[in-house]
Amino acid sequence: MSTPQLPNLLDSLGTGRGRGRRRGRGRGGLGENHEDNQEKKDRVVQKTDEDASVSRMSAVEMGYLDDPFARAFIYDPPIPRRYPIINRGTYVRTAAIDTLVNKFLAADRGAQKQIISLGAGSDTRYFRIISKDPTVKLVYHELDFPTNVAQKISAIQHTPSLLAVIRSTLSTPSDLQITAHALTSPTYNIHPLDLRTLAIDPSTSAPPPLPTLPHLSTGAPTLLLSECCLIYLSPHDADSILATLATSLIPPSTPLALILYEPIRPHDPFGRVMISNLAARGIHLQTLQKYSSLSRQRARLRSAGFVDGQAAADVDFIWGRWVGEAEKERVAGLEMLDELEEWVLLARHYCVAWGWRDGVGEGGGLFGTAWEGVVGQEGNDEGEGID
Amino acid sequence: MSDLDKAIAQLRACRPIPEAQVRELCYKARELLIEEGNVVGVDAPVTICGDIHGQFHDLMELFRVGGDVPDTNYLFMGDFVDRGFYSLESFLLLLCLKVRYPDRITLIRGNHESRQITTVYGFYDECLRKYGSANVWRYCCDVFDYLALGALVTGASTKLEATGAGFAESYPQNSMPADDLDIEIEILNSNGDIMNRFPRSQPQAPSTPKPEPSSSPILGTPARTGPAGTGASGSSSGSLSNDGGAVLCVHGGLSPLIDTVDKIRLLDRKQEVPHEGAMCDLLWSDPDEIDGWGLSPRGAGFLFGADIVKHFNHKNDISLIARAHQLVMEGFKEMFDSTIVTVWSAPNYCYRCGNVAAILELGEDGSNGGYVARSNGDAGRKAEREPRGAPGRRYRVFEAAPQDSRGMPAKKPVADYFL
Ligand SMILES: C[S@@+](CC[C@H](N)C(=O)[O-])C[C@H]1O[C@@H](n2cnc3c(N)ncnc32)[C@H](O)[C@@H]1O
Repeated sequence: MSTPQLPNLLDSLGTGRGRGRRRGRGRGGLGENHEDNQEKKDRVVQKTDEDASVSRMSAVEMGYLDDPFARAFIYDPPIPRRYPIINRGTYVRTAAIDTLVNKFLAADRGAQKQIISLGAGSDTRYFRIISKDPTVKLVYHELDFPTNVAQKISAIQHTPSLLAVIRSTLSTPSDLQITAHALTSPTYNIHPLDLRTLAIDPSTSAPPPLPTLPHLSTGAPTLLLSECCLIYLSPHDADSILATLATSLIPPSTPLALILYEPIRPHDPFGRVMISNLAARGIHLQTLQKYSSLSRQRARLRSAGFVDGQAAADVDFIWGRWVGEAEKERVAGLEMLDELEEWVLLARHYCVAWGWRDGVGEGGGLFGTAWEGVVGQEGNDEGEGID
Repeated sequence: MSDLDKAIAQLRACRPIPEAQVRELCYKARELLIEEGNVVGVDAPVTICGDIHGQFHDLMELFRVGGDVPDTNYLFMGDFVDRGFYSLESFLLLLCLKVRYPDRITLIRGNHESRQITTVYGFYDECLRKYGSANVWRYCCDVFDYLALGALVTGASTKLEATGAGFAESYPQNSMPADDLDIEIEILNSNGDIMNRFPRSQPQAPSTPKPEPSSSPILGTPARTGPAGTGASGSSSGSLSNDGGAVLCVHGGLSPLIDTVDKIRLLDRKQEVPHEGAMCDLLWSDPDEIDGWGLSPRGAGFLFGADIVKHFNHKNDISLIARAHQLVMEGFKEMFDSTIVTVWSAPNYCYRCGNVAAILELGEDGSNGGYVARSNGDAGRKAEREPRGAPGRRYRVFEAAPQDSRGMPAKKPVADYFL
């Protein structure tokens, strides 16, 4: 596959192009103010990655997670220690997504697979997967803002062990192309991309051209990940990004699945305090009201085209039901939780949701088989979602 | 103004006092605490408070709602420190008040009053940050070792004296009981308005199902953490006395190694909280809807069921156990036919949980001309005994203090979330 470069997205970030709806605004005045504001807001969102990677590092240091790669993405040491309750939550979040991802990779093992991680930030999942099994047939794509991508690439360039992991998957070293702005290879790619450029209204008569993602496979069974990413986008953008991915970038005939990890239940006292505390930091959980419950998350997956299966579970449920007894004992033994009610409260406000479509022909039914037996949380919690 | 009063004034303004003064204070406090038994005797009236956790501004709100020391007689059931940003100021203020008014404030130990827990949950780091060394933390931990393990409140009345309070707007009009009814439970908001009342069920009357009291209409949402408040006790069996029986206060709960209050008195408490054993259990255990004893998911202490509580209370002539230790969204929660209550006094716990807080007021039984029937919780003193009516209970429910309201340092606390 040739590797046409992305339109120069770095240049597009600050000025001119960018989100369609910004185009056409005059210079100066309202327009520029709006852009300044937008940039400020984007910077806050970009910084959330630091929270995630610091939490990951804290959980690794305390023995919750085994992740030798986490430290490479700590840009601002020393890392503050997180409370045990946060460490446990980080553990469940990572373990839950790992469970679904590993089952996907294990199903129909010889077949080529693809993972696209939206707002991947400093996530280390690719390195963890490959270091465990360098032979896995997988092409991995990470999408994030150019700023985040540049930072990640720089960290990779300075960390021989990370480079070694990537190289272990390549037949020729020259397959790996690294610039300050992007990393591409037949197996691992980090694309600088404001996801909102994918929020294309299909009804527009002349839709802007889609960005091309080097090494994107249109035929391999593909897993989309949104680990605390789409929640920061407007409901409209979040929905149309999924639509673009599920129809234009990956054709409907290809088996496709999505795993979401994000907060839920905004209407009870904990949820309300969460919203206002984060708002005080400039963080807005934009899709939270619309996708406020497990039921609504399942419905969301269905209407986004993941018609062959949808399930969801909150972190409290996952800790109780997915984590084996021995592992639970190990994790509970790492640090003493002083307040269990607080844990349950916190854990009920985050969920993992997953859904899939089978596509047609070969590879059909892959996700259904892979995730058979993964228990979702049944029942309608719509009431909790809408108060 | 004495040095102590100056220290109190300074701490009330949420400003730490110098290290040398902390040292002296802790020394004096130890002298005082060493004289207290493991189970402190406290006379009603008393206001019982649960976890504070360094939420200094909310502690000030608690004093506003419950009255100031020494006007109000207070009993704090531990967990003064950790999690909040002002553990130091909160604990030192309470300690100053203890030294200044030893008979008007009782402090017992919580599971966070421990060297090990405070290094994980914030108090150690806070001392280091505020003083540049761990000395103050060490002084405080030495005091922790001397804190009593429990308290026994006697002389509480079954009758609730009227406060002259008005009714809150949210008060359910149709359920307002007639004034001469014997009120067992009254719930007030932070303005002192009555939000709800529950009459004592009459001795021989067939037990009529009571409305399930929801303690906190101010939460605005239905409780999600199980039944709020109480299933008010119908256990009054017509004792003519107004003596509400003794109330045992501990931070956590009971222990399988402790079947009488006297056994608590026999423990050697002057040590770091052990990982197991009776002392650990008293500070770590939780009541739960089980039969008998169960393993605690906390990794310390036990779970205990209604049968355990009822048996213990009967054997020790106790009408109610008051404990803290567990977050309850409504501020308080009575369980097991009102034989045990959890009181939680840290509103919006960790600046994140969205809960309200409560304190529990027990009135004084004046019916015997002020004579207080000393119930020392001695086991088996009276072989056959009428079970006593539980004391009348007035809960005052309050919300988190506005952070910037009192000209005190109001560093915006950052609560962690998963981002
Ligand atoms: C909270 S972090 C999560 C990072 C990672 N998924 C994890 O769980 O560790 C959110 C990430 O989404 C990215 N993100 C949010 N909005 C985005 C957008 N419009 N385009 C690209 N990336 C975005 C942010 O830059 C950030 O790296």
